[in-house]
Amino acid sequence: MCMRFKLPNVTEMNDWIAIGALALVGVLIPLGMMAVSYLLRPSVPETSKRATYESGEIPTGDTRVRFNIQYYMVALLFLIFDIETVLLFPWAVVYLDAVESDAVSLLEILGPMVLFVTILLVGLAWAWRKGAVQWAQTPRQVETEHNRP
Amino acid sequence: MALLELPAWTTLAPALLLALTALVLFIIDSISPDAQNSGLLAGTTAAGSLASLGVAVWYLLAGVGTPTVDGGRGIIDVLGDQFVVDQLALFFMIIVAVVTALVAVASYDYMEDHTYQAEYYSLVLLAATGMSFMAAANSLVTIFIALELASLPSYALVSILKDNRGSVEGGLKYFLIGALSSAIFVYGISLVYGATGHLQLENIAAVIEAGEADPYGGLLGLGILMLIGGFAFKTASVPFHFWAPEAYEGAPAPISAFLSSASKAAGFVIAFRVFTEAFPVAETASAIGVDWTLAFIILAIVTMTLGNFAAATQNNVKRMLAYSSIGHAGYALIGLAGISAGGGELVMGAAMMHLFVYGFMNTGAFLFVALAEYWGVGRTFEDYNGLGRRAPVACFALAIFMFSLAGIPPLGGFWSKYFLFTGALEAGLIVVAAALVINSALSLYYYSRLVKAVWIEEPVTERDGLSQPVGLYAAIVVAAVMTLALLPLFGPVADTAVDAATAMLA
Repeated sequence: MCMRFKLPNVTEMNDWIAIGALALVGVLIPLGMMAVSYLLRPSVPETSKRATYESGEIPTGDTRVRFNIQYYMVALLFLIFDIETVLLFPWAVVYLDAVESDAVSLLEILGPMVLFVTILLVGLAWAWRKGAVQWAQTPRQVETEHNRP
Repeated sequence: MALLELPAWTTLAPALLLALTALVLFIIDSISPDAQNSGLLAGTTAAGSLASLGVAVWYLLAGVGTPTVDGGRGIIDVLGDQFVVDQLALFFMIIVAVVTALVAVASYDYMEDHTYQAEYYSLVLLAATGMSFMAAANSLVTIFIALELASLPSYALVSILKDNRGSVEGGLKYFLIGALSSAIFVYGISLVYGATGHLQLENIAAVIEAGEADPYGGLLGLGILMLIGGFAFKTASVPFHFWAPEAYEGAPAPISAFLSSASKAAGFVIAFRVFTEAFPVAETASAIGVDWTLAFIILAIVTMTLGNFAAATQNNVKRMLAYSSIGHAGYALIGLAGISAGGGELVMGAAMMHLFVYGFMNTGAFLFVALAEYWGVGRTFEDYNGLGRRAPVACFALAIFMFSLAGIPPLGGFWSKYFLFTGALEAGLIVVAAALVINSALSLYYYSRLVKAVWIEEPVTERDGLSQPVGLYAAIVVAAVMTLALLPLFGPVADTAVDAATAMLA
């Protein structure tokens, strides 16, 4: 099926030449447009052109907004449920068929998923007990946590 | 025994027990999150890994995974061939479980004052679970997942001393190089899949043997090269060895022991399995145009030479051990370099023996560093001067580890190197065998330098009596006893290793 690598046919154009030409055109068009507009456009420097949103809202504050580090914990906990759903979906789709068929027993279809959910629940319970879902903390609470041995 | 009536998945029990123990630790920590019951946590970890060890040894003795023609119960496939439990898998599961148990016991003292005890031990167990699964993984997908399961907790473990610059720096370097090599590895997997259309190792081999991969030889060759990159990272071999000195030096010393023994062994087991199962030497050579053992010949020589020469110039003991660990990865790579179309059982078995002995002697050596850090004596050779008078037992154990690492007869390290040497000669790798001898001779210099510092040199400063932490001492003494006990036990270990290698290459 891949004989053409071994016997290159000189009269037939190699597929890669077409791809190369396409890539070349793809690069040349934007570069050409920029070059032409550079040659044609008038240059009118103006301070309002430097604004973030020209004729729009005036931005306030810095772009580097500080997020509370606790969002990080929420994101991690979200992963638990997210991954759970990803696996639960295909399982739920085949569940009824599997229960009705005689090929697999109820334990075989239900067991692995119960085990999987249990493992995730242990993880969630652990995170909960460790205070991952405790949100607002006064400076004094933070202080006492620092003093943990 | 009622072993045959058990379902097939129970043969993965050594790995599953480690995972179960990790879950138990989470439950213990959930019940009392603020308690500092390090004894309970370390004890549970040690008990879990000893249970894993016991089950793996039992399976091996009961003949699980031994081919039926040899009187065993046959190689067992689990989950549709995604995992396979054979002698090779059980052999490396034993190494992982032993090292985990030693590290857990030693960590009891070393991590005594650490805030995150439960996290530490559960990460150790989860990493050990990954390594144990790596031993049994039989498809590129399960190999990759097991590899990541072993790697991700390792990154966190290296940088677990959050207030220590070296620890955090080592962890970051380990993570960055690990991420890079994982990306290369998974790209290699995709190329091999593209060339052969299979991920399961025997199926890849079947496609290559049928010659169906021949048109995609370049693709397959590139894929194999990238897979080698992934293995090189996990085994700390050239060209992905950069992380090792930093990570081993910065990490808590028990974790350095864990990574340099168990993690390295796990890296080797997947390399052994993938290259013996998926890429039969002769057929793959005809597909990609070059023998893949050539890559391992070069890597073995470069790795052992670089590791040993760098180790010889170190002043920091932990860093010296880190480079020596790279050198030993080079020795074990001979096991892959010596495989040929018709043979290689002896040399691959020798590499497995070396990793087994190494699991004890290197773990012990790093645990001695852990003990020195626990005492706070310092990091350089000079700081270790005269420790022998204060702590004779531990220092005697250190001498055993060092001479065994150097390969002085009659210690275990000598025999595994001797078998590697004869195996390499048998495979016709004169240059590799010569490099092995030269590097071993060089390694004697820096290993004996440490022994000399501890026993002969006068201490730089007078120190008071040194404490004797129970856990660390116990782990070091057990490692030393096992290094010595391997003298009479070396026969069975060697037989098992060669049998496992023969079964793989058959």
